[in-house]
Amino acid sequence: MAYSDKVVDHYNNPRNVGTLDKSSEEVGTGLVGAPECGDVMRLQIRVNPETQVIEEAKFKTFGCGSAIASSSLATEWVKGKTVAEALEIRNTDIVKELALPPVKIHCSVLAEDAIRAAIGDWKKKNGVAETEAVAAH
Amino acid sequence: MSNCARCQQPMHDSPLICAACGAVQSVAGIDYFQVFGLKRAFALDTVAVEREFHRLSRRLHPDRFARGSETDRQNSLAATALLNDAWRVLRDPVERVEYLLKIEGHAVGEEHAGKGKSAEREPPPDLLEEVFDLNMQLEEIRMSQRMGESAEASTMTEIAAAGKRFEAMLGEVDAALQAEGAKWDAGDAATRAQAAKKMIELLDRRRYVRNLVRDVRAAVTAQALQQELYGGNFVAESL
Repeated sequence: MAYSDKVVDHYNNPRNVGTLDKSSEEVGTGLVGAPECGDVMRLQIRVNPETQVIEEAKFKTFGCGSAIASSSLATEWVKGKTVAEALEIRNTDIVKELALPPVKIHCSVLAEDAIRAAIGDWKKKNGVAETEAVAAH
Repeated sequence: MSNCARCQQPMHDSPLICAACGAVQSVAGIDYFQVFGLKRAFALDTVAVEREFHRLSRRLHPDRFARGSETDRQNSLAATALLNDAWRVLRDPVERVEYLLKIEGHAVGEEHAGKGKSAEREPPPDLLEEVFDLNMQLEEIRMSQRMGESAEASTMTEIAAAGKRFEAMLGEVDAALQAEGAKWDAGDAATRAQAAKKMIELLDRRRYVRNLVRDVRAAVTAQALQQELYGGNFVAESL
């Protein structure tokens, strides 16, 4: 199976690889796994408490090229968005952007799950009600 | 069992070849278990199946049909390919489980991923944490190996111990898969449904563990190779 140019680009030059301070109040951490292939992905965000804008995003993924590219792209996309806006990101957007083949769609699902998990963690830390975001889906 | 497409005699053993007239049959609709004349089951007598594989390989071999009709030649090629696939999958205990679950209509494997994702499929968070942390350590080791340095001995000891623990975990998962398979083989529909669900969960868990065991082995092998090539760190420093 051939990877698209965009996947290869993200794989060779992943954006925002790294770690944020897990214990910080402003940081939300999402750790998710894909049971279908055993990939694991951690995505972290740092949210400005005043504006709720995600000012920084980092990821670390152990998995295939598509999983790395999906999470790399996810960090690019959430940066500069508010928490509410970031929750609008759909895995189908990632599939489209990276031209993922059907067998790799679950990599994009993993990235979406990671965004949600990170935001969920941040909300829990900061006592923001989860219900609103969940009800929207 | 059906009848032979050529001589109309009832078929015995493998549906791939007629015992009476030796005609190779069409492979359409034959699953890997039927290839060997077996009922669907998780338990398998691999010794007996291997013997049958060799017997059928000889009988179905395309060379034997080189001067046969076009149908015979085509059937022999297709039957040989199916036989090889069937043996390759059934001989491997994990591939066998995945295959049988699939033909029983369960969604297994990457091609079904991401559709029916539910909280049930999430692994226990502590397993995920541990897998992630060990992957971080493995990456550090790989990085120093890439720079031509040996990883810290203490890190390697830690990783090797974790590898052992995960290998043991793999063994436990495989034993549990076997136990659930036995329940399925002997059980009624309700038991089977429950055993299948358990097996799918076990397979999900197994993939994380399997990847980690594979990566730890690779790191340990690379380390051993490096020390053979360059000598250990402490040796280099003492020179």
